[in-house]
Parts: sequence; C-alpha cells; structure tokens
Amino acid sequence: MAMELENYKVLKTTIQPGQRVVARQGSMLYYTGDVTFTPYSMSGGGMPGAGAIAGAAGRMMQGEHVGLMVAEGSGTVYFGRNGLYVQVIELDGTGALTVEAERLLAYEGNVQTSIVSLSSQGGVRGAVRGAVTGQGMFTTQVTGYGTVAVLSHGGTVSMTVGGAKPQVVVDPQAYVGHLGNITVDLSAQVGFRDVVGRGSGEAMQLKLSGQGTVWVQASEKKF
Amino acid sequence: MSIQIHNPGTLPVNDNIPGNDYAFCVDLAGTPWFTSKGAMIAYYGNVAFEPLSRTNLTAMVASQFSSPLYADDWVVAQGQGKLILGDRGYNINSFDLDDGNLTIRASNLLAFEPGLSLKQSIVPGFLTLLGTGKFLASSNGPVMFAEPPLRVDPQALVGWADCPSPSHHFDAAWMHSFLSVVGGFFGMDSDEERQFDFTGAGTVLVQSSEKVLDDGHVYRHIESQTVQLSQASLLQLHRSIGARIQT
Repeated sequence: MAMELENYKVLKTTIQPGQRVVARQGSMLYYTGDVTFTPYSMSGGGMPGAGAIAGAAGRMMQGEHVGLMVAEGSGTVYFGRNGLYVQVIELDGTGALTVEAERLLAYEGNVQTSIVSLSSQGGVRGAVRGAVTGQGMFTTQVTGYGTVAVLSHGGTVSMTVGGAKPQVVVDPQAYVGHLGNITVDLSAQVGFRDVVGRGSGEAMQLKLSGQGTVWVQASEKKF
Repeated sequence: MSIQIHNPGTLPVNDNIPGNDYAFCVDLAGTPWFTSKGAMIAYYGNVAFEPLSRTNLTAMVASQFSSPLYADDWVVAQGQGKLILGDRGYNINSFDLDDGNLTIRASNLLAFEPGLSLKQSIVPGFLTLLGTGKFLASSNGPVMFAEPPLRVDPQALVGWADCPSPSHHFDAAWMHSFLSVVGGFFGMDSDEERQFDFTGAGTVLVQSSEKVLDDGHVYRHIESQTVQLSQASLLQLHRSIGARIQT
C-alpha cells in the first residue's frame, strides 16, 4: 500500500486486495478501480470490555468521535477535505502520534488509534489545558507502523523537540499534533492587560519538552 | 525578499501573476471577454463592464451566451487594459479549447472569450463551453486531471471534457440495504454512496474541496425544470417542501 501526496491538498492512496485504508467519512474525492466504502466505528481505545464502552461514550461527549469509513478493494483513491492542507506522517512503530481526531484525514488499516484523556498526560494540568485551549478533555493517539495523513489550515511546519532545543513553545490554536515522547504543558501568563483586553493575545502557550517532533500550522484558525 | 510592484507593462499577458496562482491577468485589447460578476479584483486602462442586458454587443451575447439562468451573474468586459481576476483565493488556470467542448461547474467558471459559446448543461449547476477560445476556471487547490473510467464525489467535480456526461453510481452495499430496507439505513452511510461515474475517452477535472458554494445556480436550474410537472406533481412538491421547511 502506498500513501503519498498528489498535491498539497490531496492524498493519493493505492489499495491492493486484502489491505484497507481508514478515512474520514465523506473525504473521498475520486477513485479508479474497484473500491468499496463502508462505515467504520473507531474501537474504544483498544481496551477490552468496559473500558471500550467508557471510551466510546467519553469520545462522543468530548468531540473525539468523528465518522470514519473503511476503503477496501483494489484501486487508487484520492482523499481531501474542504481544501485543507494535508501532511503525511510516517510512523515507525517506536513512538505515538498525538493528534485531535478531527484532524485525521486517513491512515493505513494496520495503524491503531486510541482515545486518551488529557489528564493522563499531566494530571489536572492536562485537563485544564484541554478545557482552556478548546481541545476538549480527550485526544487521539495513533500507534503502530504505517502512514497517517493529518489535516491543517494553511500547511504545517515541523519542529524538532529535544537535543539542542529542549523546549518548543507553540500557540495552542496553531498546534496540530506531536510524535514521540513529549510532555505538553500549558503555560498561562494572564496579567492585568489580558483581563482588560489589551494583552498581546499570546497569553496561552503550549510548552513542549522531551524528545520528538511537533507540527504547527500556519494559521490560528481551527477549520 | 523584495516585493515586486506591478505596472501595466510588467503584468503578464493572459497568464497568472508571477508567483501567484490565485490571481490571473487578462489582456484586454479590443476583443471583449465574458466575466463572472465579482471576479474582477483590479484593472488598468479603460475597461467597461456592462450587464448582458445593457451592452451594445447584443448580437454577440444572444448568440454566444445561451444560458438565460445565468445571465444576471455575468458581464461583458470590453476596452483596452489589463484586467486582474481572482476567486475566493482559489487557484486559477486558463484553458484553451480548439473546436472542443468542456463542461464545468458554474461557480468555478470565471471568464471566457466570445469565441466560445456557453450553454447550460443537463447536469444541474454545470455549464458547457463549445468552440475555440480561452477560458478561466478556478479550483480549490491545484486542479487534477484524470482519465475515465473513474468515479468522482459530486462535490469535488470541477468539470469534464470530451467524454460523455456522467451517470450516477451507488455503492453496491448501500444499494443492497436500500433494496432490503431491513437495515433501515441505520449506520449505513459512509457519505460516499453516491458518485458520478465517468466512462469513455476524455478528461475529468477534480479539485480537493468538498465544500461547494450554495450559489443559487442549482436552485434556478431545478426551478426551471418544474415547468415539466403536472398540476398534481406541483401540489405534491409544494407539500413535501412545506414539510421540510417546518422541520
């Protein structure tokens, strides 16, 4: 299976029998060959039993539930969504990609997704971050070996975290996702000026530290 | 990085503004152009924009613009000068037709030379260009050219050339549940069950967007088709639309 960019707004995937691609519902632009599209429900975080149910329920409430479909068969399918830019990210099985479910355009069928609570990544501060930045209390983690296509408004910049740059600070609205062992922390520098509406507009910042890569979009608009 | 400041001499002749896929410069030199209302963003020179109903080129309009539903959305640009066109930040491409035919989504057609004639397509919301000349079309992201056989999401379709008009294709699994009805459709929608099916030899133009403007073209097309309906069918339509408005 191959997943590559046709142009900066369109993802091209070649599907062979026995393989499958999971994609956002309604994102198919056109295809050649014999391909079928069936609705797909994201499993509840790979956890068996009650965990799965709780995961699904929480996801629906917290906006991490998006309609997905499975494309199977043999042919070439082109995906795109609302003219948003597409970023292809390769997972080599070592690290997890953290991204909001809304930003997932498509991924290879052998990649796993799970919903994680932000409070599991930094306790109460993580939960506060989700509430304050409008990302919700949950986010999606993608793991395994394969290709993932992520949407952004205006294209992305990838930045390395770690080594010479132990910390990268990102605007929460421009944050797309991150790969690797990274801790995300919200730093709020709310002063008197922000309260009276004369702040710099940059009171909320995400501080990323650890080892990995973060993707930032060239816009503060959330589609 | 330096900013290039354009003047009438440095602007290109019938080409994209250098380094800018989103703006296009048309060189008006005597021959008029049909342009879509609102596509003009700037111009140099002495250019007049005349509504189709109030131009001195009535004969040309009557013979080349045979699309009454769209007459209010188009103007004739004539004079001498450089005309810059843009559309929603979409990529703009120019195409040359040589005694050919091409059908395009009405909201993606920006301008055309009067060597081409414009006709309403049978497919609602689409227009067909026939003849020889240049036209400008916009697309969200670079336009992709594909050869049939293929199936396209109706909203991503920009247009097609040389091949027969598309037919509807419905996903086999969806058809199955539609026919059995037992499934009640619950959870059966992948949003991709309806596609346009292209066959034959030709070229299909596709864009990355699935967001289509509600531009009123489709509505007018459908309204014009209701003249075929009988009194009983009209009453039924009236009732079903009334029911939908209330919910």
